[in-house]
Amino acid sequence: MTYLFKRIYRRIMRAEARFFKSLADETRLKILWLLSGVEELCVCDVVGALGITQSKASRHLRYLFNLGWVTDRREGMLMNYRLCVPPGSPGEKQLKLLAEIFAPHPEAQALRARLQDWLEKKRQAKVKDAAANPVDGSIRSSAY
Amino acid sequence: MKSEARLFKSLADETRLKILWLLMEKEELCVCDIMGVLGITQSKASRHLRYLYHLGWVNDRREGVWMNYRLSVAPGSPEDKQLKLLADILGSRPEAQALKDRLEQWLSAKIETTEAKDSAAAACKCS
Repeated sequence: MTYLFKRIYRRIMRAEARFFKSLADETRLKILWLLSGVEELCVCDVVGALGITQSKASRHLRYLFNLGWVTDRREGMLMNYRLCVPPGSPGEKQLKLLAEIFAPHPEAQALRARLQDWLEKKRQAKVKDAAANPVDGSIRSSAY
Repeated sequence: MKSEARLFKSLADETRLKILWLLMEKEELCVCDIMGVLGITQSKASRHLRYLYHLGWVNDRREGVWMNYRLSVAPGSPEDKQLKLLADILGSRPEAQALKDRLEQWLSAKIETTEAKDSAAAACKCS
C-alpha cells in the first residue's frame, strides 16, 4: 500500500460515519422521531415530552442543526426546530427507514402520545392565561 | 430505542463502514483480505470485525489460522434495509467504487500467489 493511497482513502467514508454518528444516540433518535410527526417543535416541547433538561435538549438540537437535519427559527426567547431534509437525499431516505423501524415500536408510539398530551396541556394553559389577562396575555404569547 | 442507537453506533465508524461495503461486494472475506485492502493492522481489522459480529451484522467461519466473515442479516430485516440504504448512499461515491476495484486487485493477486505456491510445491514433489 502506497503512502498516497493511504492519504487519499483514509477519509473516504468520514462523512458517512459522521452521518451515522448523529443517529447513534437515543435522545437524538427520539427528537428526530418526534419532529417527523409534527411540523415544528419548540425546545420546551422536547423538554416536556422527553423529560430531559433544557440544556440537554438544546445541545442535541444544536448537534442535529449543525449536521443539517433541522433548521431553527427564533421566537422571542425560545428556539423552534423543524426537519429540513431535501426530498430524495440520504437523510430523507434514512428518516423514512427510521419511521418504518419505529412504527411497530411500543416505546416510540408511547413517546408520540406523550408529546400530544404535552402539546394539549400547553394549548390549554395558553387559553387559560389569555382569558385571565386579556391584555397581558397577548403580550406574553408574543414574547414566548 | 436503545437498540436502534446501538445499531447506528456500529455504523458510526469509517473502518466498519468500509468493511461492510467490502462484504456487500464479496460473499466471504478473510481477515487478511480486509487488512490488505484497507491497509490496516490485523488487530484493528479483527477488533472491528468482532464488533460487527457481536451486533449480528456478520457470521464467522474458521479456516486454519484465519477467520472468515460474511454478512448475516436476515432479508427484509431493518438491518438488511439499512445495508441497502448504505449501498445506495455509497454507490454514487467514486472513492467507494475505487475501494471495490482495490479489493478485486487484491483478490486476483492473492489467487496468483496461491497458484504459484501450489505449482512450486508440485514441482518439488515431482523431483
